[in-house]
Amino acid sequence: MVRRFLKTVAGVGGFVVEHSGRVRYLAAVLGTTLLLGAQPRRWRRGVRDVFTRQFYFFGVESFRFILILAVLVGISVVVQLSVWTDKLGQSQQLGPLLVAVVARELGPLFANFVLIVRGGSAIATELGIMKVGGELRVLEAQGVEPLLMLVMPRVLAMAAAAFCLSIIFVFAAFASGYGFGAYSGGANMSAGEFITSTLRAAHPFDAIGFLVKCLLPALLTGVICATEGLSVEGGLTQVPLAVKHALARSLFALFLTSTIVSVLAYS
Amino acid sequence: MIPRPAMNISPAILKFDEVTIESGALYETGLSHSSLELNAGELLLLRLERENERLPIADAAEGLVPPERGSVRFCGEDWQAMPADQAAAQRGKIGRLFEDEGWISDLDVDQNIMLSQQHHTTRSEEDIRDEALGLARAFGLPGLPRGRPGGLRRWDLRKAACIRTFLGQPTLVILEQPVRGVYADLMAPLVSATRSACRRGAAVLWMVSDPKIWNHAGIRATARARMFGSELNFVATEARTS
Repeated sequence: MVRRFLKTVAGVGGFVVEHSGRVRYLAAVLGTTLLLGAQPRRWRRGVRDVFTRQFYFFGVESFRFILILAVLVGISVVVQLSVWTDKLGQSQQLGPLLVAVVARELGPLFANFVLIVRGGSAIATELGIMKVGGELRVLEAQGVEPLLMLVMPRVLAMAAAAFCLSIIFVFAAFASGYGFGAYSGGANMSAGEFITSTLRAAHPFDAIGFLVKCLLPALLTGVICATEGLSVEGGLTQVPLAVKHALARSLFALFLTSTIVSVLAYS
Repeated sequence: MIPRPAMNISPAILKFDEVTIESGALYETGLSHSSLELNAGELLLLRLERENERLPIADAAEGLVPPERGSVRFCGEDWQAMPADQAAAQRGKIGRLFEDEGWISDLDVDQNIMLSQQHHTTRSEEDIRDEALGLARAFGLPGLPRGRPGGLRRWDLRKAACIRTFLGQPTLVILEQPVRGVYADLMAPLVSATRSACRRGAAVLWMVSDPKIWNHAGIRATARARMFGSELNFVATEARTS
């Protein structure tokens, strides 16, 4: 009995030590990445090119997809809220509710979710294949640091894309929701009233929460996927395994950070 | 060791001092107490045994693999004592033709060729491209190859690798079996490029396993050495001629 108890305690301890070590490692990579990114001299031509290409891939190429998602979410959420606030005679609460649901929660969540699926998997796969193919060594041999050339621009491009996609999502969701409500007769306020009530509901503090919820999960996704890709050992068959781990951990980090920020900011 | 001229006070471009490196997963054989010194304008022709071609010499020369014992110095500075930023900058002064091609698959071949110069220098894009174009013509290509490395023929890739190696007038040139499988096409322009490099003061380390290249009269090696297992043995040295 005592032995079993001690074994359980040891198991829990081992789990905590292992995962705290991993969290420390990710924090160190993220810190280094941000530190490097803040130094203009690190943004050499090749690095800028990688950032531009990755931003195009993460942000611009995801634009249509996030727009479709936003329209669908806008129709379902905004219309529902509009109908129910109207039925309850609380039309003036539509703005605060929209800001709380769409801007604070759904916008950053959906944008990061799309980025994990589209960008996170690409980062882990690409870097994993490069590692297995010895391309990291080729970069190092030319005096090009892989962290600077491969990790930093991807992580920062993902954060920039998350910010842009979140804003697009929020505006598209509001517009589509109101548009559909007006078209179906569900919205009983003018466009001006809708915009005014929404803007009035937005608090300056929301901007900080929105920024943190956009950027932090995206930065973590970038770092998690990059480190998983770069940790591939053996052959190409290990790459899908790394991608699987990367996506699962990125999703966990997304929901965890989103929840923590919500609890800290709004409770 | 290659004798150094008495008047030469600048440090050797590459100096291995009693270097010992164990063979690992990456190498077939390690290095055991190996010493060599390459000065400006010198060319060391190093013959490898066919069964032991994967050696840590090129990686050690670039400071990518730390020696267990001894030291490797580039331009007088020990790689192990250099800060990471400085080491990266110094590697930018080395042109290396990788034995296994060594391309970044995510970049086009011309981007691969210019990557190091774009990263380490402030030269204009046109300036780098012009120099690369000149080298391309010297190596028998009509222009800079485009497209991903996977889409190019092997001999065109090898020529592209030569362009990358000599681009930016590197201080040290490392050639890992550069003409293997493409001898007829590449030998003459490569010999010419190495002579030019030596004339302007670069040091060249040329590794071969093919006896035909080892005995090639056109390669004016200032020293010749052979690897026997992990032992480096100089078989002929001559003073540098200016």
